[in-house]
Amino acid sequence: MANGIALTGNSSFFREKVLLGMGWGEYLRSLLTPANAVAAVILAVGIPLLAYRFAAGLGATTALSQAYPWGIWIGFDMMTGIVLAAGGFTIGASVQLLGLKDFHGIERSAILTAFLGYVMAVIGLLADLGRPWNIVQAVFSFGSASPLFEVAWCVMCYTTVLLLEFTVPFFEWLGWRKLHAVLKKMLIALTVLSVVFSTMHQSALGSLFLLAPTKLHPLWYSPFIFIFFFISAILAGISMAVIESSISHKVFARQLVGKHVDVDALVCGLGKAGAVVAFAYFFIKLQGVIDGHAWGHLATGWGALFLVETVGLVLVPSLLFAWGARHREPRAVKVAAVLAVGGIILNRLNVAVIAMNWTNPIRYVPSWMEVWVSLTLVTLGVVAFRWIVNRMPIIREDSAFPQEH
Amino acid sequence: MRLTRRAFFKVAGVTAGTGIAVAASARSAGPAPVDPGLPGVLVDATRCTGCRACEAACAEANKNPAPDAAADMSVRRDTSQHVFTVINQAEGPAGAPRFGKKQCMHCLAPACASACPVRAMDKLPTGPVVYDPGKCMGCRYCMVACAFDVPKYEYERAAPRVRKCNFCSERQAAGLAPACTSVCPSGALTFGKREALLEEAKRRIYADGSTYVRHVYGEHEVGGTSWLYISDIPFEKMALNTGMPERPYTDLVAGALGVPPFIMTLWPPLLMGLYTFSKRRDEVDEKEVHHG
Amino acid sequence: MTSDFLAIYPAKLMEYGLAITYLLLFIPMWRYVQGGQKVLAVQPVQGRHDAERWPAVAVAAPWPSLGWFQVPAGVALHPGHTWARLEADGLVSVGVDDFAQRLVAPSTVELPQTGAVVTQGEAAVAIGDGRHSVPLVSPVNGTVVAVNRAVAEDPNLLQNAYGTGWLFKVKAPRLEADQRQLLHAQAARHFLDGEAEALAMRASPEVGQVLQDGGAPVHGLARVLAGDDGWEALAREFFHTEKGTP
Repeated sequence: MANGIALTGNSSFFREKVLLGMGWGEYLRSLLTPANAVAAVILAVGIPLLAYRFAAGLGATTALSQAYPWGIWIGFDMMTGIVLAAGGFTIGASVQLLGLKDFHGIERSAILTAFLGYVMAVIGLLADLGRPWNIVQAVFSFGSASPLFEVAWCVMCYTTVLLLEFTVPFFEWLGWRKLHAVLKKMLIALTVLSVVFSTMHQSALGSLFLLAPTKLHPLWYSPFIFIFFFISAILAGISMAVIESSISHKVFARQLVGKHVDVDALVCGLGKAGAVVAFAYFFIKLQGVIDGHAWGHLATGWGALFLVETVGLVLVPSLLFAWGARHREPRAVKVAAVLAVGGIILNRLNVAVIAMNWTNPIRYVPSWMEVWVSLTLVTLGVVAFRWIVNRMPIIREDSAFPQEH
Repeated sequence: MRLTRRAFFKVAGVTAGTGIAVAASARSAGPAPVDPGLPGVLVDATRCTGCRACEAACAEANKNPAPDAAADMSVRRDTSQHVFTVINQAEGPAGAPRFGKKQCMHCLAPACASACPVRAMDKLPTGPVVYDPGKCMGCRYCMVACAFDVPKYEYERAAPRVRKCNFCSERQAAGLAPACTSVCPSGALTFGKREALLEEAKRRIYADGSTYVRHVYGEHEVGGTSWLYISDIPFEKMALNTGMPERPYTDLVAGALGVPPFIMTLWPPLLMGLYTFSKRRDEVDEKEVHHG
Repeated sequence: MTSDFLAIYPAKLMEYGLAITYLLLFIPMWRYVQGGQKVLAVQPVQGRHDAERWPAVAVAAPWPSLGWFQVPAGVALHPGHTWARLEADGLVSVGVDDFAQRLVAPSTVELPQTGAVVTQGEAAVAIGDGRHSVPLVSPVNGTVVAVNRAVAEDPNLLQNAYGTGWLFKVKAPRLEADQRQLLHAQAARHFLDGEAEALAMRASPEVGQVLQDGGAPVHGLARVLAGDDGWEALAREFFHTEKGTP
């Protein structure tokens, strides 16, 4: 189907594509919103903080210590960032491989969320590394006995796959048909690779902690921790897809006028999947505790934390997902998704920081600079997401590149 | 129009089951034969006088600042980025002090080296576990992995390094003993071949009238370490970490690390199978709609 | 050592017990989640009606081509049922589409002033029957440079919706960006077919039957479907100008 009408004005490519058809003055004025003001404050402090970290070192900016070499830049920016970006492979696989075409409307935004999530996780990692210039050493010196080696390589490969998947709407935006056609053909292969790489590194992030049996609390330490991380990644993908698509379709509603992607129906469909996955995840977490003979710990303070994480933020969302899906109540599904995401964030923080070194009476508390940098990276991701969605066919469809249904 | 869920779960279940079975069979190395030529040090706590000559010799050999003479050894001391070995004091039998030396244990299957993604921490074939800052990216995973909490980090520097005892690997390569063992005046530190030192340790423990704890610390811990300790008071009293598994840490990740090649092999046919399956269902549905 | 070995047995008992409990709970869990009404999630360019109105059937059929409402080539349609066309002089003509004028059969038309600024997606014109009038949105952004006075005087001209029924012309500086929100050619036809079907479903079953047999829609269909007072809300819904919409 050709776009037969040339309703083009005489504007430049930059003006149309980047400035959304406005002049510079008008565009800059359009940026003066309260949300942008908040983002500007966060970035105005955060970006210099990042520079300061590289200038002054980790000791000056973080609360890391000899007892706590990993803090929230690893526990949150990297580990939570990567797990919450799992929507890319879960939704992508659902649409492309399982044939669940209903979810096509949210597939691109899920992939974009994943791509930006991984970029921000990598930036967070570079901020945390003591000698970040040596990160390329992973390409030459193979520490292949290390789960971290597997994480490094799979994240590298997967970010590349995400970038390639993202170029499909990117080339639509630029109108580069030939490249677009090439990439579009590769989409099935890319989706298969995305599931392969994601399975590997999502689980390998869990395997990292296999080397800390004396340091990680027995309620979380299990030889099966890599399975827990993988299943919770699937749950994270589903939950983030609910949250992100609900927000996007409201914020960017203008792009959908006339197109009826019934987000509420998609959300309820995701709720079904979320209910089943969360239900299974809850039970395998319990199995892990039994397998490790650690049920005695459930009566302690650590047990309370574990129960909050698994009962409160996995089982409860599972039941809420189920109820919301059955009764077609998207609000219940959205609440469940938020709870599930909270549970996954808590799980990653527990494993990496809170329940780590659990016998040490001195606890790690992040410095305000660490927190602010993490906040900065999240803000950067959100701002980038909005910039891209306002211009490229992520939520809306470009009529010059019709999607098959 | 869609892949039936039953079919999907069937296929997924079989594959997942296989994967889990593979992963859960964490292969155990079992008691592997140790190279008899590997170096070791026997630390006999009953002979240590707490003179701390070893601390001074270590500092000099590694160009670290000289140890603080006024340090209180009964308060638990730890190694740091400029202190590679410390002596801790504990109360021994009949009120006599006992002293424990802490430094890198140079494990036979070092967790830090297995953890390092770029082999900046590496075990030399000759025994010492050494560090190459040229490769290190500063991920600090070695610090997380070490059961003995040995590696320490230079957080204050712009180009920070991981710091720990390197068993005087250059001195050993030149045929010398490590600095600390060569200055010990009381014979608490004996440098030699690990095999032989293990026998000597057991001989002392099982000699008539011995008061040693009947355990050689480092014989089996984390699969065995190069530094072996014998003592007549419990080891944890001397600020040595206990309670770690006797399996080498490499065994703990072997199962999980064995899975990726299976995923790379099995996932593509599984996923392409699902894709083909769901496409056929779509085609069949379309045909039915057009004919019906 | 012995106690370690014996500790395996209670643990294994609990493990298998938990797994069996899970399997037993899984069956009702699955059935519960799968219960509830089936939903069609994506109905592109079809309409914004509640899923409840649609039958619980997986749709793979092609669109019904009722051909009730027309859109000619060269015209870009806004889902609010207004259209835009780039003219030879570089201005953009704007009007309401065939669907809109048949739905309302207006006797009054309100046009913007020359020089007024119109915004895509926001109300720019209104058509009515003398008692109520409904606004329609502008399909493009721009400044009004000409207005069709003839239509204001004789609203019947609207029956040639894309010709003599043009309403105003704008200078549209952001046309390339604006037209991304518009429907062209086949997409526009599909859209109108979908709107037609939505209308048909709204009608009572008997009327729906007749219409599906190929009859032409009655002029002023909104009044037929929703009555003299209710037609305004119906029309506003289709034109995306519900009361309370900015």
